[in-house]
Amino acid sequence: MNKLVLILTCSAVTLLPRIIPYFASSYLKKLPGFIRKCMLLLPVASLGALIFPLALTDFGPLWIAGLVGVTTAFLTSFFRGPMILAIVIALLSTTGMLMAMGA
Amino acid sequence: MGNGIKEVREGIHDGFPIFIGYFTTALAFGLLTRTSGFTFVEGVLVSITNFAGSGQFLMMNLYNAGTFLLGIAISVFFINSRYIFMAASLSGKLRNPSSVPGRIMTGFGTTDEVFAVASFKGVKLPYTYMAGLIFTSYAGWVSGTAVGYVAGTFLPDVVQKAAVITVYAMFASLLGGEVRKNVKALLTASVSALINTILILVIGVSTGLSFLISLIAATIFGAVIYTDKEAGIE
Repeated sequence: MNKLVLILTCSAVTLLPRIIPYFASSYLKKLPGFIRKCMLLLPVASLGALIFPLALTDFGPLWIAGLVGVTTAFLTSFFRGPMILAIVIALLSTTGMLMAMGA
Repeated sequence: MGNGIKEVREGIHDGFPIFIGYFTTALAFGLLTRTSGFTFVEGVLVSITNFAGSGQFLMMNLYNAGTFLLGIAISVFFINSRYIFMAASLSGKLRNPSSVPGRIMTGFGTTDEVFAVASFKGVKLPYTYMAGLIFTSYAGWVSGTAVGYVAGTFLPDVVQKAAVITVYAMFASLLGGEVRKNVKALLTASVSALINTILILVIGVSTGLSFLISLIAATIFGAVIYTDKEAGIE
């Protein structure tokens, strides 16, 4: 298989689904109210599936380290901590857990 | 002009955690392209022209398995189909939706992470901000691929493993902020977390399809439990 053809084909099927909706916004505005409401709630709905289960399974048998990381990050921001602090705390707690479990 | 530079810098600032997460993930991707028989230029070109984590790994795995081009294209399209919904959602948040180069750039850069960060910005997004956010993320992805091709995943195992948490911590942090404002956010996100986990771990559905089903189900659930005002409809 020609690798350049492969690469550019995959580029097309990746970028077209991302770019085309930005050129359909006049149609999107005409959609029923409930669909437009869905568009507003899609970001928060996506967060659960963006985190679980991959934040756990990426760590294999040490999945608890991933769980500790995302939980500390969640709590930090819930109690008004800035995102960068949430990430640093998650990094430290995950690393700590990994080392404690002998990774 | 001064405002524009400030917005670019804010985008770069917000993109920094994505840079860390992408760079470390792309190291593994760069190594994979080398072990799959790609030249350095070909390996880096994948990341330059695709800019997609799961889609690129899927492409390499199918290529290594000897799948036909059409089969690879359909599978990669399928795993990327969620972006249609994410892009449609994010298009409503742009400050100037009519700029053609601005929309192409934003579309090019609409990854899961860029989408999430931009969506919760709470203001109409200028393209200067999006440029800073996307360029920072893109730089991490492409440079990580190049370094990974040459040096492999050279980071100590514990650092490499821990760095994986960066992007998930970013998502969890965004969720924490939303839940503080409205506890219904926790319910809505829990629906997609639960469905995605069951579909992947129990039923064994592929991650692309599983994510799409979870996203749509949780979005409808959210639209039912949120009032119009809470959702941001005046």
